[in-house]
Amino acid sequence: MDRLNPGYKFLTLLIVSMTLSLTYNIRLNLLVFFLSFTATLCTPSVNKKRLFLGLIPFLLLAAGMFMSGLIFPAEGGAATGSEGFRAVYVDSIDTALQLSSRVLAFGGVGMLFALTTDSMDFIMGLMQQFRLPPKFAYGLLAAYHFFPVVRNEYRVVKSGLKVRGIKAGPLSRKRVFPLIVHAFEQSESIAMAMESRGFCNEAPRTVAFVVPLRRVDIVFLAVAVGGVIAGAIWL
Amino acid sequence: MKNYSWKLRDIILVALLSIIFGIVYLGAVYLASFLTTVLTPFGLAPLGNEILFGIWFMVATLAAYILQKPGVAIVAEVLAALIEVLLGNFYGPMVIVAGIIQGAGAEIVFAAGRYRKFNWLTMLLAAAGCCVTSFVWGFFRSGFGLLSVKLLIVMFLIRLVSSVLFTGVISKLIGDGLARTGLLRSYALGQSEK
Repeated sequence: MDRLNPGYKFLTLLIVSMTLSLTYNIRLNLLVFFLSFTATLCTPSVNKKRLFLGLIPFLLLAAGMFMSGLIFPAEGGAATGSEGFRAVYVDSIDTALQLSSRVLAFGGVGMLFALTTDSMDFIMGLMQQFRLPPKFAYGLLAAYHFFPVVRNEYRVVKSGLKVRGIKAGPLSRKRVFPLIVHAFEQSESIAMAMESRGFCNEAPRTVAFVVPLRRVDIVFLAVAVGGVIAGAIWL
Repeated sequence: MKNYSWKLRDIILVALLSIIFGIVYLGAVYLASFLTTVLTPFGLAPLGNEILFGIWFMVATLAAYILQKPGVAIVAEVLAALIEVLLGNFYGPMVIVAGIIQGAGAEIVFAAGRYRKFNWLTMLLAAAGCCVTSFVWGFFRSGFGLLSVKLLIVMFLIRLVSSVLFTGVISKLIGDGLARTGLLRSYALGQSEK
């Protein structure tokens, strides 16, 4: 999985997810979850701990959706009358399973992508196969690498405010504003640094990291999309 | 009259903004997941997420407010979504689609004002726009159609309040605050303030 072309893998999983969101099929949802989970688990480079930790929020969300579906199903299915009870019950179990299996299916697909794809390769792939303009590709990568810096700053501002005896919750404007001000200064200087080193959007460019597109990628696209559509029809 | 193309500086700025809001969201999401867990036995779990939903759209309105040109809201949301994917968001590819749809909600409102009006009304409407489109998207993505109308109405109202508060009010206040610092002199917002 980690050797597939990231751009095409993204496209494939996007189409798979879109197909799932247009269908209501519990078995298909669970199958997609199971397959993508297995595929992720069997990829040697995947951090297994992250995989299982990442599963927790989805299980929680799935449980949440399950209960919502059980207690608050759409009225349409609610039959009335004394014998209705059983019907309602079966109906809402069905709704609950629909909603929660869907969460799991999306979670499985999302994790498959997140855990088997290198960020750098992904952006390079988007640029090389999907014509993402270089200024967006490199701009994004430049900003992406500032993530640890920004996260650190968020903490520094927090302790700064604490030292001054000012109370500020995680959502406080006092904590966010300095970061944004700094983002302006940084974006300006990063852009200037890139441009002064000759970064130019229009000029033809060569790439150091070639992301190849191979036959496997097309086969994966065809099999996965075909499989889901077939599953949506026959399962 | 206006320069519609994206400068490298703008791209990096928007990406950094989405990183900032991503971090803020992470800081707040623990609260939400606690709430979600508590609400699960009552079948009200989706409400926990709704409270913070507005933070997702903040980039769209703030970037549009600062840069004030067509397409900013959508592109900003897509950039934010790409950053999410880069950071290993487990929701994966669907985040991009969500980004386009949420951005479109704000974009429609700004387009209706022909990208000239950026006042309180447009900002609040844009916030509501994000809320509406993202909610419609929820019908496809999460199968909202299977839930009862009452629950959906409550969810919608909470999301509306959240997006108007974060996406509308706070984004506008942040934008105005930035303009006052004089940082935005080379951006559309800073120039219109004079």
